[in-house]
Amino acid sequence: MTEAMTHNIENRDEFNVEINGTVGKPLIDDPKFTTRNVDVHYGDKQAIFGVDLDVGKNEVLAMIGPSGCGKSTYLRCLNRMNDTIPICKVTGDFKLDGEDIYAKNQDPVLLRSRVGIVFQKPNPFPKSIYDNVAYGARLHGLTSNRAELDDLVEKSLIRAGLFKEVKDDLHKPGTGLSGGQQQRLCIARTIAVDPEVILMDEPTSALDPIATALIEELMIELSGKYTIAIVTHSMQQAARVSSRTAYFHMGKLVEVNDTDSVFTNPEHQLTENYITGRFG
Amino acid sequence: MELGQHISQRYNAELEDIRNKVMTMGGLVEKQTSEAIKALLDRDGELANEVASSDDVINQMEVDIDEECTRVIALRQPTAGDLRLVIAVVKVITDLERIGDEAAKIAHYAKKLAKKETVTGMHAELSHLSQLIMSMLQDSLDAFARLDSEQAIKILSQDIKLHKEFNVISRLSITHMMEDQRNIKQALQVNWCARSLERIGAHSQNLCEYVIYLVNGKDIRHTNLEHVRRKYFPEV
Amino acid sequence: MSTHNTDKIKAKLKKRYAKERRFRAYGIASLAISFLFLLTLMVNIFSTGLPAFQQSYIKLDIHIDAEVLGVTKASDREALFSANYSKLVKGTLKEMFPDAKTRKEKRARNKLVSNSASYDLRDHVIENPELIGTTQSFWFLAKDDVDVYMKGKIDRNLPEDDRRIKDFQLTWIDQLQEEGRLEKRFNTTFFTSGDSREPEQAGIKGALIGSLLTMLVTMALSFPIGVLAAVYLEEFAPQNNRWVDIIEININNLAAVPSIVFGLLGLAVFIALFGVPRSAPLVGGLVLTLMTLPTIIIASRAAIKSVPPSIREAALGLGASKVQTTFGHVVPLAMPGILTGSIIGMAQALGETAPLLMIGMVAFVADVPQGILDPATVMPVQIYLWSDSPERAFTERTSAAIMVLLAFLVVMNFIAVMLRKKFERKW
Repeated sequence: MTEAMTHNIENRDEFNVEINGTVGKPLIDDPKFTTRNVDVHYGDKQAIFGVDLDVGKNEVLAMIGPSGCGKSTYLRCLNRMNDTIPICKVTGDFKLDGEDIYAKNQDPVLLRSRVGIVFQKPNPFPKSIYDNVAYGARLHGLTSNRAELDDLVEKSLIRAGLFKEVKDDLHKPGTGLSGGQQQRLCIARTIAVDPEVILMDEPTSALDPIATALIEELMIELSGKYTIAIVTHSMQQAARVSSRTAYFHMGKLVEVNDTDSVFTNPEHQLTENYITGRFG
Repeated sequence: MELGQHISQRYNAELEDIRNKVMTMGGLVEKQTSEAIKALLDRDGELANEVASSDDVINQMEVDIDEECTRVIALRQPTAGDLRLVIAVVKVITDLERIGDEAAKIAHYAKKLAKKETVTGMHAELSHLSQLIMSMLQDSLDAFARLDSEQAIKILSQDIKLHKEFNVISRLSITHMMEDQRNIKQALQVNWCARSLERIGAHSQNLCEYVIYLVNGKDIRHTNLEHVRRKYFPEV
Repeated sequence: MSTHNTDKIKAKLKKRYAKERRFRAYGIASLAISFLFLLTLMVNIFSTGLPAFQQSYIKLDIHIDAEVLGVTKASDREALFSANYSKLVKGTLKEMFPDAKTRKEKRARNKLVSNSASYDLRDHVIENPELIGTTQSFWFLAKDDVDVYMKGKIDRNLPEDDRRIKDFQLTWIDQLQEEGRLEKRFNTTFFTSGDSREPEQAGIKGALIGSLLTMLVTMALSFPIGVLAAVYLEEFAPQNNRWVDIIEININNLAAVPSIVFGLLGLAVFIALFGVPRSAPLVGGLVLTLMTLPTIIIASRAAIKSVPPSIREAALGLGASKVQTTFGHVVPLAMPGILTGSIIGMAQALGETAPLLMIGMVAFVADVPQGILDPATVMPVQIYLWSDSPERAFTERTSAAIMVLLAFLVVMNFIAVMLRKKFERKW
């Protein structure tokens, strides 16, 4: 056994993580997002080291990795949420449909209407369910009259699988819903703006398994229409919902591959250690 | 492939336990097979009797290991290497159990053949085939124990040799049957023994396929062996 | 092992509970002490202050003699205004108490009613000139000495030399009481007139309006400035910027500056440099704004800081701009805290005297201010002025004014609580 072991580790050590050493398939043919040479610094500390990664059209890309590996930071670069953190410095090429999203003339507000985000903790506004969903549409002036807005709110809630549960309580506070419902409300609020990409930052980590299952189901449904990038701590979740999985480790992108191959036969020893629950 | 190093110590122990049990079962099957062959070649009716009636232990072990694998899948949701280990084990024990069955069959015929005065002239060939089968079985189990996929692919390439040996016995038995119709029963029994031996060889080769799946994550069943060998094991 | 530990824990447990009980006792004790202080203060203020809400009135039947006044029913306002009404009042008193012989006694007789009696009479006659020539009953304000006696503050059993009310005055008062011409009524004057040298005529209205106007100026300036400053510092200002740090430190320091310094600043800047009228609520409001701003800024910043960042992220993530996020979500959610802080700041300003002394709001102002540019005084200054006055009757008025000030504060706090509730109900 030991002989075989050493043999395998030797095999795997040929992948060098130090220099953009991502194994697998980080780049794909028909990307929605392309990111190259992404470095992120928090003050003096570098959080992400030279990540090259594509997100495909209408795919669900899952990002996994231990805490502090940079997966959330990377996700938040994609709609420039990191701009709100003053000490955070992002460098690299980010292109959405070939368009540089960090260009001088690119408006982060416009970008965020194209790239929506759902956060870890359900964070509905302290307003009614209706107003929560209508918020983005009102903000961007997407509808011209009340009837259209009503329609949009209803459609978004239906698509988020929440309408049946709340249709009689649209004017009750969104904060009065259960955790899972709140998170679906946040998803409804995000898709009401009709973004092209939805980023999800550990969307189910605060939810019970049933609420989690509902949201996972929703993600799979949404992936037909939207490009979804999700950061998750639950490997089972990544395995269930995503078509590709990216493994981050200490700010580096270690491996990207089709989800089933990552979970049955990861190429990199670090990935294997992480997903099988071994000491890194 | 390493089993230890999990954050959960109990998980380590569970996987180690499964693997150890498989090795024990493999040892038992190996012993069973070698004794069946010994009974056949030495015309030892007593030993044959013993072997034919003792595959209960192996059957029970299959059930136990199966159960344990189910539990690990349900409780630990193994991934990657761990998942492949559990899946491979589930398959390995099925094949081991079949080998046990074939050994029992051989013992059964050995019992009958032992009552006869002579085994008509095929002793040498049977002995030859048996040696090949035993080495294949031992080597496969060894490859599994050491997770040695190179050895596994070597065993897989013994395919042709196995078929040749089996065909020799087949042709000989047909010749015997044609020479004297009274030989038919005995020749058939010999042929069946050869058939069982061949099956054991085939199951051993299955074990090797699982070893390759387990170590390299490649399912090479129903593929071109030469192609696989060239692609993944160029140095073998 | 476990039993071993249990014993150890048990042994310690008793001590721990004893400590807890002791701590609770300390708490209750300190609460009780503070409550006792408050109670003493309240009892003291209320017992001295409550009589001020009553005032003695004397009824005189006055014959409005056209000859004495030198006017007729047809006389114009001017003539009616300048006629000698005090002669009528004095005449009536002389008829009622003819026994006064010495100058001293005569003067005391005229001082049974307040000198406002003649003004009241004048106003009444101007309103109703047809009354000239008839005899009418009037209730006039009693002089403060009579009032003080009526409220039982003067013991008639003391030797005559030791009291302000002499024996002959006592006989008059007894006579008035017997005839039902002297009685205590609710003191409307206290709430309807401004300050006066005569205690029976002095009222709180001028100071109340002055305080109100000053507070309005303070609120109109300090609330928006304070909240906007807090919002800028909290949401927009660059972090780790040296200038922002300096500003922050200075705001915190300003909160600790003695308030009289703000008064000096107001005197030097607002009055001397900008020529804002002295003693006016405007300049008072400006000075109090300076004083209140640090409190409001600090409280507002704390309130804004306590708004969960997830709300900001949610709004930003949907494509709201920074300003939309701040004023659409952060400020409304921080509003209860901001309001509380602001009201506390305002309450502080309401009770402030020292800085106002420097800008002339300590002057004697008898008129009720009509606008923010009129000379005015404020309630705490009024209290200070009255407490400094020698007349006995001012003592109770001081306490009464304190009660009114307290009521003002309670109303303000009540409004704060209401506003807080209202904003909080919007989740």
